[in-house]
Amino acid sequence: MRRKLLPVLAFAVAATLLGAGAAAAANGGFAPLPPASPNAQGIKTAYWWIFGFTAAIFVLVETLLVLFVVKYRSRGRARTVDGAQVHGHTRLELIWTAGPVIILAIIAVVVFSELPGIRNAPAATNPLRITVEGHQYYWQFDYPNGVRSIEELHVPAGRVVYLDVVSSDVVHSWWIPALGGKIQAIPGRTNTTWFQANRTGSFIGQCAELCGLYHAWMKARVIATSEQDYETWLATAAHTKLGQEEFQGVCATCHGLSGQGGYGPKISDNPLLTQPAGLEAIIEHGRGKMPAVADTWTPEQIKALESYVSKHIYTGASSGG
Amino acid sequence: MAVRSDAVAPVDWKSGRIASWLVTVDHKRIGILYIGTSLFFFVAGGILAVLMRAQLATPNEKLLTKGAYNEVLTIHGTTMIFLVVVPILAGFGNFLVPLMIGARDVAFPRLNALSYWFFLLGGIVLYSSWFASGGAAKAGWWSYPPLSELQYSPGRGQDYWILSLHILGISSLLGAINFIVTIVNMRARGMTWMRMPLFVWSILTYSILLVVALPSIAAGLTMLLLDRNAGTHFFIPTKGGNPVLYQHEFWFFGHPEVYIMVLPAMGMVSEILPVFARKPIFGYKAVAFSTLGIAFFSLLVWAHHMFTVGMPVGLDSFFMISSMVIAVPTGIKIFNWLATTWRGNLQFDTPLLFVLGFIALFTMGGLSGIFLAAFPVDWQVNDTYYVVAHFHYVLFGGSIFAIFGGLYYWWPKMFGRLLDERLGKWNFWLMFIGFNVTFLPQHMLGLLGMPRRIYTYSHGGLWEGYNLTSSIGSGIMTIGVLLFFVNVWHAHVARKGVRATNDPWLADTLEWYTTSPPPPHDFDTVPYVTSARPLRDLRRKLAEQT
Repeated sequence: MRRKLLPVLAFAVAATLLGAGAAAAANGGFAPLPPASPNAQGIKTAYWWIFGFTAAIFVLVETLLVLFVVKYRSRGRARTVDGAQVHGHTRLELIWTAGPVIILAIIAVVVFSELPGIRNAPAATNPLRITVEGHQYYWQFDYPNGVRSIEELHVPAGRVVYLDVVSSDVVHSWWIPALGGKIQAIPGRTNTTWFQANRTGSFIGQCAELCGLYHAWMKARVIATSEQDYETWLATAAHTKLGQEEFQGVCATCHGLSGQGGYGPKISDNPLLTQPAGLEAIIEHGRGKMPAVADTWTPEQIKALESYVSKHIYTGASSGG
Repeated sequence: MAVRSDAVAPVDWKSGRIASWLVTVDHKRIGILYIGTSLFFFVAGGILAVLMRAQLATPNEKLLTKGAYNEVLTIHGTTMIFLVVVPILAGFGNFLVPLMIGARDVAFPRLNALSYWFFLLGGIVLYSSWFASGGAAKAGWWSYPPLSELQYSPGRGQDYWILSLHILGISSLLGAINFIVTIVNMRARGMTWMRMPLFVWSILTYSILLVVALPSIAAGLTMLLLDRNAGTHFFIPTKGGNPVLYQHEFWFFGHPEVYIMVLPAMGMVSEILPVFARKPIFGYKAVAFSTLGIAFFSLLVWAHHMFTVGMPVGLDSFFMISSMVIAVPTGIKIFNWLATTWRGNLQFDTPLLFVLGFIALFTMGGLSGIFLAAFPVDWQVNDTYYVVAHFHYVLFGGSIFAIFGGLYYWWPKMFGRLLDERLGKWNFWLMFIGFNVTFLPQHMLGLLGMPRRIYTYSHGGLWEGYNLTSSIGSGIMTIGVLLFFVNVWHAHVARKGVRATNDPWLADTLEWYTTSPPPPHDFDTVPYVTSARPLRDLRRKLAEQT
């Protein structure tokens, strides 16, 4: 029995390592996602350094383990036969104490040398400063000129963007993997992070701290565009599309993209959508399982949502049946 | 003076009625009650785990959505930590420590019984929370405020959770004090500190850590309870409170807790490995002192769970260095175990397989921890499935594998019958393969951006592939675990288990000196302890005499 099992174990370890190597080449989840910002790049560099050292130790320990297990198996020797009665070896103890200390020191040096590039944004003449506010269950972004957007953060590629991360209710965690690490959004506290998208495109992420029932759907998208497109968006779309964004980013999480219902009830046939006072009461204060999603919204935001839902979502009380 | 007859007629501990188990103060019976109850909760927590894996097997599953999923993940984590690993180790400690040090019982037998019944009560309170108004607690096993505050977690589930943890905390504290007093005062003649079994060293260290760390979580939980029920606002920022305080209070307990769960498992490895290698442990002193070293540093690393809180870089750096330092004594243990197998006569019985599995898997879990200690890398992988994979390698691949090794090793001493070797090997291999199939892909999921504690996801591609693989692995692992219970049934109900002698493994420590199972008073006589391997000394002496 054991003679068959040992080669199987050895084979399994070898196959795992081989598979790991192959998949690592294709980045099938063997390293952080392809970075699109200097801080994410720095983290990935540190990751690969640590990977190199730990992989070497892993291979050393597991190989020795398999080797010893195969070599010193009983081969039919009785239980009464003693192995070598060795009680220890001081020099060996010193070696495997000092060895890891040295390796860990090197890892620490690498991490600290990468740290400035991860923590500090490059000196920039025209950085953008945006407030990111976590809510159950959406992200809200405030731009310098008073514009507000929901779920989608628009930024110009190439510009350093500082984020002041806050929360209006529970602890959330801001995270766009391609644009750097996480930072918790903690109520009563302002945390800061930054990124600099090195190309245009859309980068996705989601809340990384359990924040309640719909934590799984608290997503975020950073849309990096050219400076020109960003300015255009700031001047126009940010205002005209606010109601739609609010509905899709906040309400649709539970009520569906056209208000057809989902985890929350169907609302497209609810006359409340056309009654500003009633709608304000429920979105500002919540009711039952419905969180107070709009407790920090501006009158402009609420008006935008009211106008959007009454025009685009409400289908009349009868159509729902 | 007349001797009252009822006072000297001990009930045979092995064959009493139910009542005798309810009133027992015998450390062996209490140990068995602990282990049996923990195994029951292991099955309960395991069912919850399989439910979660079923929900995550494919994208957009509807089996177990939002609230229910959050309840399941909260109770799974709380169960496995507070109702399985910690108490089952207390159970082994209860059964083994007096036997290993040649004592007749623990120092305070009644306190010992109290600590068991508090454990059971804590478990019942936690599980009755499923019937609480608003359902069970659903804010995760660390229950960060403000989410765990009344405003965001209405209903009584969270209060049940707090009550349960308070009761379990008292239980652990009583047990820990008992262990410390027992080990310090009641060792057999000749058993100096350097002749004490390494498992006893680990239980001593486990107990000290419990005494030091538990008050911190007790404070945090009490503040949370007051916030929820008495109108205080320790953690409510709109009223001047600070939710980060809770994170510190929780993790000042939470990280030592990790070592509370793994050090006694390491102690088991240090007992079992030499017996099946037919060698002494390599570097006894290094292994014993590394236990103390790990325990000391474990009190200095808590905020590595909080790297994304936005602490000053100086603090982040301190906690990174202290966390890395822990890798050194841990490495010392691994290398000493490796050296213990060197030039041995390895007897491949089931306990050895589980112990070798522990070394292989714990090494993986330790190394993935170095990524998490490096705080900039942690900013990327924190709170993702990478972390889930990491701590399951440590706590399941580590602690649970060692515990299964311990069950197979000490089962004949506890119950007088050996478990079946063939079923045992199937049990090991299915668990080992299933474990890796379940948890290896979770590292990749975390690096691909999958946060933990999400009840569903809509990504296809690799997310889907790795999640499905992981769920299949959990099925294989389940079959492996079930084989253990089949094995128990096979040995005891079907009565096919071979009757065990006093010392079926030709072991080194004193528990094998007495009968299997031992009499209520443990030993008729206790030999003078001449080394860390008293039984081997006795066997050699016997061999010389004949």
